[in-house]
Amino acid sequence: MLGYVLRRLLLLFPILLGLSLLVFLFVRALPGGPAIALLGERANDQSIEQINESLGLDQPLPVQYGRYLKNVASGDLGSSVRTRQPVTSELSRRFPATVELSLAAMIFAIFAGIPLGFVAAKRYGGVLDNVSLVASLIGVSIPVFFLALLLKYIFAVKLGWLPTIGRLSLTVQLDHPTNFYVLDAILTANWTALWDAIKHLILPAIALGTIPLAIVARITRAATLDVLSEDYVRTARAKGLDPRVVDRRHVLKNAMLPVVTVIGLQTGLLLTGAVLTETVFAWPGLGTLVLDAIRFRDYAILQGGILFFAVIFVLVNLLVDVSYAFLNPRIRYR
Amino acid sequence: MALLSVRELEVKFFTRRATVHAVRGTSFDLDPGQTLGIVGESGCGKSVSSLAMLGILPKTGRITNGEVLFDGKDLVGLSDSKLRNIRGKDIAMIFQDPMTSLNPVLKIGRQITEVLTKHLPMDKQEATVEAATLLQRVGIPNAADHLDDYPHQFSGGMRQRVMIAMAIACRPKILIADEPTTALDVTIQAQILELLKKLVVEEQMALILITHDLGVVAGVCERTNVMYAGRFIETGPTPELFARPRHPYTLGLLKSVPRLDAVRKEKLDPIGGSPPELTNVSPGCSFAPRCVYATDESRSRVPDLRPIDGPDHLVACWNPVPDEDLPQAPGAEWAVR
Amino acid sequence: MSIVEAEAAQLNVDRPSGLWVDAWDRFKRNPAALVGIALIVVFIVAAVFAPQIASFEPNEQAGPLATNPAGPGGDHLLGLDQQGRDVFTRILFGARLSLLVGLVSVAVGLAIGLVLGALSGYLGGWVDFAIMRLMDLMLSVPGLLLAIGLVTIMGRGLFQIMLVVGIVQVPTFARLLRGAILGQRESDYVLAARSVGVPGHRILLGHILPNSIAPVIVQATLAMATAIIEVAALSFVGLGPADPRLPEWGKMLAENANRLEQSAHLVIFPGLAIVFSALGINLIGDGLREAIDPKLKS
Repeated sequence: MLGYVLRRLLLLFPILLGLSLLVFLFVRALPGGPAIALLGERANDQSIEQINESLGLDQPLPVQYGRYLKNVASGDLGSSVRTRQPVTSELSRRFPATVELSLAAMIFAIFAGIPLGFVAAKRYGGVLDNVSLVASLIGVSIPVFFLALLLKYIFAVKLGWLPTIGRLSLTVQLDHPTNFYVLDAILTANWTALWDAIKHLILPAIALGTIPLAIVARITRAATLDVLSEDYVRTARAKGLDPRVVDRRHVLKNAMLPVVTVIGLQTGLLLTGAVLTETVFAWPGLGTLVLDAIRFRDYAILQGGILFFAVIFVLVNLLVDVSYAFLNPRIRYR
Repeated sequence: MALLSVRELEVKFFTRRATVHAVRGTSFDLDPGQTLGIVGESGCGKSVSSLAMLGILPKTGRITNGEVLFDGKDLVGLSDSKLRNIRGKDIAMIFQDPMTSLNPVLKIGRQITEVLTKHLPMDKQEATVEAATLLQRVGIPNAADHLDDYPHQFSGGMRQRVMIAMAIACRPKILIADEPTTALDVTIQAQILELLKKLVVEEQMALILITHDLGVVAGVCERTNVMYAGRFIETGPTPELFARPRHPYTLGLLKSVPRLDAVRKEKLDPIGGSPPELTNVSPGCSFAPRCVYATDESRSRVPDLRPIDGPDHLVACWNPVPDEDLPQAPGAEWAVR
Repeated sequence: MSIVEAEAAQLNVDRPSGLWVDAWDRFKRNPAALVGIALIVVFIVAAVFAPQIASFEPNEQAGPLATNPAGPGGDHLLGLDQQGRDVFTRILFGARLSLLVGLVSVAVGLAIGLVLGALSGYLGGWVDFAIMRLMDLMLSVPGLLLAIGLVTIMGRGLFQIMLVVGIVQVPTFARLLRGAILGQRESDYVLAARSVGVPGHRILLGHILPNSIAPVIVQATLAMATAIIEVAALSFVGLGPADPRLPEWGKMLAENANRLEQSAHLVIFPGLAIVFSALGINLIGDGLREAIDPKLKS
């Protein structure tokens, strides 16, 4: 298995290189040319000249790319057109909020989706099964921003059970050692803040996680159905084991393999979903950052954001592949 | 008192399309340490009876009649929790395809110890030691090293040995082997059958061997029941059956096996036609459409098992095979050694 | 014509239709798929007959300009928007737009994706390697972000947007077809055809492609739903079709997202329109998948 992991790690570099090339070309293709795009339309001639120099825009393309790579490798992704802050610092400031939201959404999707799919499979053809199928189908047919709006409207605006926007109520104080609010609250033993942060997390997480939930539930159901008809489940029953043991050790353990893969594939959905969900709840994460960048034509942030998202995506996929290899004994012990 | 007594067992499968009458009233007795073979084509219902007895039929299947007396208790209608105490402990079963019958994500040792810890008052360590011993007994060298291996690291024959180890772990009184050698190479087949025979003697275990292969029962089973379309159509001591197959189907089975010592020009004699769909319950003997001896009576009334050639040899036939049509003496040579 | 040739000709006619007839049978018996067809029929009727069904024009000012426009009632089945336009009319014409978008994007994605996939699968070697690495690269950027990037560069015209959404789907189709072709390439009937001397391109077009087409059809159907939702998403982030007169459902939703409390009807109805269209398409796609291979439970 070590060989497998090493090979996947090795493949990482050409992919990252390819991504950087993609974003590089993207910047060069922006309307108005890279200089205007990265500086803003009201840039003066002096700054334009400066950036032409530093980007080497008069040099041949490969040289430009080389410079670009050097910059990216040293952590320089340029500066925001709007705020003049370095792109990397903006990204790292907003990053924890999105991660917190995505994790919460994923936890929701997994802990609700897997049992749902499993039970639906065990009671094949029953009411729960059909209901879950319908729900899954609706889940993949609904745009995440519409769902987010509906949830906000019903639970926050109309019923008032949960807050409408933000990560924390204005009246609540919290120190931020990690910028992960839930973690921060636990670390500083600030229980009012903890509850407040969780309340703010609930609606966005459900909105973001519902579509992955629908997919996870479907895959779990399908995988469980497949496994239930396998010979080794019959063997387990013939050994006189408790049904719950059979479910856990023989059925679930095998059904989880394809499910794990699918969970990994949901990252893409989560990332794009974050972009759409955060704006509905004014969640100060990478999603709103990118959205604002689009709105204000802050191409510096946009190219940095796209690159960042893509890298995260690739890394998570790698992680998923390796976990799958680890969980599946057939790959682990070649 | 027989160890296992099955009376008029009927099993049906209720699907949306049709009801399948898989087992149509079978009866037999099994004494301690006895080896019984159940022979028949695929789909004749031979595996279903065993699955039904143990209560592990697929969801659509159900026992609709009959009783299965084991140790004085009727297994039919017993709750699943009680059946679980018998499965794997007093009655164990091994299946046909060792490639798919073992959990691919669980270590071999674990798959054996879980049976031990479930049924016997053992803890994990004792069970692990016992598991190694069991693997040794079924002929896997360096047993202790293999406990942490996964099924895919074993060959087919080794996997079947592991299955057998799992089955005999709690010293069951009955071992049901459902086509244990069908998916294996011929040389491995012989080894596995020898292993089963050895264990029967060592454990004083009764064995029900289900197969479609006559050669397999010939070498292993004292008695053989021949099954067709959900019923036993002939039962008796194995050598007797081979020497004097009184049911036309049994005769047909024997004649369709190619013989090494046959005269070269003899053609293989298959049985014409195909087995009936188990969804129809037609009047009369189910074999009648393919039978050369069939009469109007065969087609209208179902024959029941009656003694012929002695009290141990039963046949369900209105027109048993006459003496002149019996195969020549060589059948007797296939007797159990 | 010899007897063998006559029988062979007969076989060619019978075999494909036998397969498809079976699939159609199974499809017909699937209640979910039939619901899907019902929804899609409504969708298509709305799209095609919008001018006839609607009482107003999509950009006609049928009522007063208002910050809090009226909800459903009276002449206006689904209410008015801030510009005084009839919402029901706009939704109907929006169906036209969505249908167009769905069809064109998928057509683009299919056309490019299938060519790449076929080349990759059949030619193999470095062509396969290059194409697949390009596909991998495209797939490393999450779909919406890729679309955002491309629209930023190519502009917000309706045609460009449909092109972009199509391009984003290319890797899926390419991979799918390549996989199917690879699977078929080594199968017995292809080897048989090759051994008799049937030329390569004939084998590809006449034998491999027809047998690989089934999963592609399913994917194309599902891709339509994705396309519709994706364009709505682009509108939501402000990169939808630039023309303000176009009654794009996503844009209608986006424009009123922060006025949910006061004008819920302006958000809910376009949203529901998206959901039902996508649902109908997904139900059909699912039904197709089951009909074509009922053994595939996933």
